[in-house]
Amino acid sequence: MSEVLIAGIGNVLLGDDGVGPFSVKVLESQYDFPHNVELADLGTPGLDLPVYLLGADAVILVDSAKFGGEAGDIRMFRKQEILNIPPSTRIDPHSPTLRESFSLLELLGAIPREFLMIGMQGGRFDPGSGLSTPVRLCIPHIIDAVLRELRRLNVWCEPKASVKPPGTWWDSLRRNTTGKALLG
Amino acid sequence: MTSRIKIDPISRIEGHLRIDAEVDGGFVSKAWASCTMWRGIENILIGRDPREAWLFAQRFCGVCTTVHAIASVRAVEDALKLQIPPNAQYIRNLILIHHALHDHIVHFYHLSALDWIDVMQIPKADPVKTASLAQSLSSWTRNSPQEFKSAQDKVKALASSGQLGIFANGYWGHPAMHLSPEVSLLGFTHYLQALEFQRKSNQIVAILGGKTPHIQNMTVGGVANAIDLDSLGTLTMDRLQMIRSLIDEVIPFVHEAYFPDVCAIAGMYPEWFDIGGGVNNYLAVPDLPNDGSASHFDLPGGVIFSGDRNAVKPFKSAADEEFRQAVTEDNTRAWYKGSVFHPYKGQTNPDYTDFQDNGKYTWVKAPRYEWRPMQVGPLSNILVGYAQGHPLTRKWTDLALGRISAVAKRNVTVDQLQSTMGRYAARAIRSAMLADLAVKHCELLTNNILSGDVATHNPPQFPKGEIEGVGTHEAPRGTLSHWVVIKDAKLVNYQAVVPTTWNASPRDIQGNVGPYEASLMRNPVADPERPLELLRTVHSFDPCMACACHTFDPDGREIARVKVL
Repeated sequence: MSEVLIAGIGNVLLGDDGVGPFSVKVLESQYDFPHNVELADLGTPGLDLPVYLLGADAVILVDSAKFGGEAGDIRMFRKQEILNIPPSTRIDPHSPTLRESFSLLELLGAIPREFLMIGMQGGRFDPGSGLSTPVRLCIPHIIDAVLRELRRLNVWCEPKASVKPPGTWWDSLRRNTTGKALLG
Repeated sequence: MTSRIKIDPISRIEGHLRIDAEVDGGFVSKAWASCTMWRGIENILIGRDPREAWLFAQRFCGVCTTVHAIASVRAVEDALKLQIPPNAQYIRNLILIHHALHDHIVHFYHLSALDWIDVMQIPKADPVKTASLAQSLSSWTRNSPQEFKSAQDKVKALASSGQLGIFANGYWGHPAMHLSPEVSLLGFTHYLQALEFQRKSNQIVAILGGKTPHIQNMTVGGVANAIDLDSLGTLTMDRLQMIRSLIDEVIPFVHEAYFPDVCAIAGMYPEWFDIGGGVNNYLAVPDLPNDGSASHFDLPGGVIFSGDRNAVKPFKSAADEEFRQAVTEDNTRAWYKGSVFHPYKGQTNPDYTDFQDNGKYTWVKAPRYEWRPMQVGPLSNILVGYAQGHPLTRKWTDLALGRISAVAKRNVTVDQLQSTMGRYAARAIRSAMLADLAVKHCELLTNNILSGDVATHNPPQFPKGEIEGVGTHEAPRGTLSHWVVIKDAKLVNYQAVVPTTWNASPRDIQGNVGPYEASLMRNPVADPERPLELLRTVHSFDPCMACACHTFDPDGREIARVKVL
């Protein structure tokens, strides 16, 4: 069986930027996946991203995005759309590097055969603020999109017999309003 | 005529590093480094349990997650005066070493090599000549003509497709590029191989830390790795051997590819040992403690002022008393309220203005040591070690300088490491040292376990009342310190003074410029529309501004835009 990577990208401490890791935790808590599927919270890997994509036959990424929609709107991107993004001048190793990662993998002949990026428009990105309500309410759309893509890849996952709350430990931040108060 | 260059990453939510430079007669006459990102992320820790702070702290940054995790637990342990078991020390050290090796390899090959290598020269190279050149530099096993031919074919295919892919945005054909086609092919081939070895180094972090990014095994008082040589699912002899065999794969790449590549390329750009020195006060903290009580370190620390190596002041402990007293953060020119604070009293209350040349212009505070700006990073690490006569530092530094001088056909000295190219060389020297130390610490761990010691954790006890502590780590980009104030087992203040804050610091209350700004002064700029020279100097610090966001922008608006005003 070929390897499938489902990865969330983003910083869980910065509001809606955490939508990718959050979605992965929700998936983990609700479904049992076959052994060839790996779920990962990759944080903000910058130039390390290609290393995590190496060896995967199919990749599904979930990330916060900015395409000018309303918070919670979803847009999907395939391989070619990523490759069509103009490359940037790198100043630091942390800049968003999906496009660069693809170029590097392309050069190595190791670009994933199948790729889907699920981007959700974020609304607020204050430190410690947690997901905004519109984004939180739209998480089920991300889960649906991931499951549809898995079916297309002929990968089947089972709903868990008993569902526990997702292990989003960082969510306790929402109870601490210090960061927000200082920002206000 | 003065022109102004602005290199500004147009970012969506947070910015990254913005560089403004005034160029007069082909040289930079004034520079400003600005971070366009709010950095008050520590505030979210106030009121929390100090035992879980590391879990949040390692999300400050996406790439250097482990360094914040370890600085955080060290800060709380310092406040509690809690020693950790030797096994915990060695496990942390192995994680730190392999994170750093991974980071240094990525920095040289994937972040900055193409500032020096003109990719467009590669199709002209002769792979056979490249192989004989490479074999004259080192005994690296993957320097065959076939290996070089195959890398060259990849570039040719890309060039003939009309789509440059990863190379679409380089300053190719720039007058400051002058490596031969063969050296360019050599560097580029190792750029491809580097991906494999930085991955192996990261695998060691994952085995010990549970996963990467975001290790899972830290705890205040030690590490959470259970050691049981007979059981599965814990740290077993099998896993230790797996780590050792990964180390044995990574070391040759560092010693026989990365180190010789940097020496050769540095020797071919000797003029860059005279450019980009900047602030010549250096700070490094000791790291890689050899025992539980952290009384002896494999990486020495100390301070050097005004480049005077003879007057180096060594640090005896990870957070020397002088260090604790000397560090302040100055908000005068940063978008925060207040002026100068000790980190325990540090405040991060925003006071945003526009970018003002003569006022506030950045979200980065200005850390100072006894009121002086300090340069941190591998160069500081190497200079304070060399000045103290540290044998491992001397061994690799002298070897590097010998090789560089031979290629350059001129004598490149220790003092000339205080330059843009010196920072690249120092990072390679440090990597060579870390590769030696990887073996040492793997053996220390294995032998200690075999002697029957399986302890990994001393439980913390929190007193009533207020305590303070600082946790330091000599991270890939330099001195990192986390400062905590704990009251009745709750955090009441938390400040992270990160390496890039030292280096990217703005001017301070006395008008002293920070290291990035100082290093850009008198940098040549052949073509203001393509300021390659500025990027070389800025990249030499391995900037790491965005401990932050990664929001995807399909329109590519994160492009760093170069503007000549």
